[in-house]
Amino acid sequence: MEKDSVSCLVTGAAGFIGSHLSERLLSLGYCVIGIDSFMDYYPRAVKEKNLLQLKNHPRFSFVEGNLLHFDIGPYLSRVKYVFHQAAQAGVRASWGSSFAVYTENNINATQSLLEACKNLPHIEKFIYASSSSVYGDTPLLPTQEDAPLHPVSPYGVTKLAAEHLCYLYWKNFGIPTVSLRYFTVFGPRQRPDMAIHRFIRSTLRGEPIKVYGDGEQTRDFTFVSDAVEANILAMKYPRSGEVFNIGGGSRITVNKLIELIQTLLNKSVEVQYLRTEKGDVGHTYADTSRAKRELGFSPRMGIQEGLWEEIQWMKDQLFQD
Amino acid sequence: MPISQELLDILACPKCITSVVLKERQKGSGLICPACKVMYPIREDIPVMLIDEAIPVGDDGEPKAGYTSEWK
Repeated sequence: MEKDSVSCLVTGAAGFIGSHLSERLLSLGYCVIGIDSFMDYYPRAVKEKNLLQLKNHPRFSFVEGNLLHFDIGPYLSRVKYVFHQAAQAGVRASWGSSFAVYTENNINATQSLLEACKNLPHIEKFIYASSSSVYGDTPLLPTQEDAPLHPVSPYGVTKLAAEHLCYLYWKNFGIPTVSLRYFTVFGPRQRPDMAIHRFIRSTLRGEPIKVYGDGEQTRDFTFVSDAVEANILAMKYPRSGEVFNIGGGSRITVNKLIELIQTLLNKSVEVQYLRTEKGDVGHTYADTSRAKRELGFSPRMGIQEGLWEEIQWMKDQLFQD
Repeated sequence: MPISQELLDILACPKCITSVVLKERQKGSGLICPACKVMYPIREDIPVMLIDEAIPVGDDGEPKAGYTSEWK
């Protein structure tokens, strides 16, 4: 770690968004300390690939560790910015006995990290990766940040609880938190359980695409570089205790999404419609005017260009496999 | 990429928070906690500071019989 560069801590640095964020920070001249516990929600090998471009960078250090059992203090003493991207992801898997994994890794881990940030006035910003899942199945579209918060999945409950912790640790201890509510992030390195990844993979392999529901549900898809940019903008935001919607502005039905993917790949496969899964919402659509006004956030990558990027990445992955 | 000295200076045992000591070995380097008498493996230049991955070591700092620092 170079002593003259400002340092950042990125939790979940081996993950989809965390790895892109780490690269962006390095490109801006920051030092990055990454931590990841390589949770087995999806294969370790995928996350190791995410780290490939980072591992040999002279300003990147990485530790495999679990925030629940880790002395993070010495790392926090060396950083000015904390990007808390680590979480147990996945709406559909958060039911039943798996819930404890979500509470531990999303709520307890966040609390542990916030506790460690107390009495560290040199930390300029603590940026928390929240989620559109905190809104639940809202009829208020586009959704503003002050809409009622009624998560319909246990995952959403844990993301909201952690967001509340970020607020109250700011309120009580002055930890400079900002929460970013991501709306369905996509792009290269997207997690293999996510819809766009599954649809592209199925189409490339000539296998049926499985859709939960009738396909008329909509999502406000956000390209990963736009989500990353929101974090960069939040670093210099003068206020704390705030929350912002981070949406890509590309709201589209799942059926239309599949049509786009198949057009871009010039290939069609069968689409199988399955029962809607518990915890899934009908529609998401972010009102990002607060992020635009306060952070200067403006998404740059549309759905078609973003899909093309993810398709190219996926083709490279399948070729390597 | 080898672990920087600055990182080595702050790595600690996740169980007891004692500073760990680098032990370089041909069969796989690791970070020894002298209090817990375990070694946290370094795999592909990544220090694996997970309690579940800790390998019991003898007084010589070598993994006890039946343990390895390789991937499980």
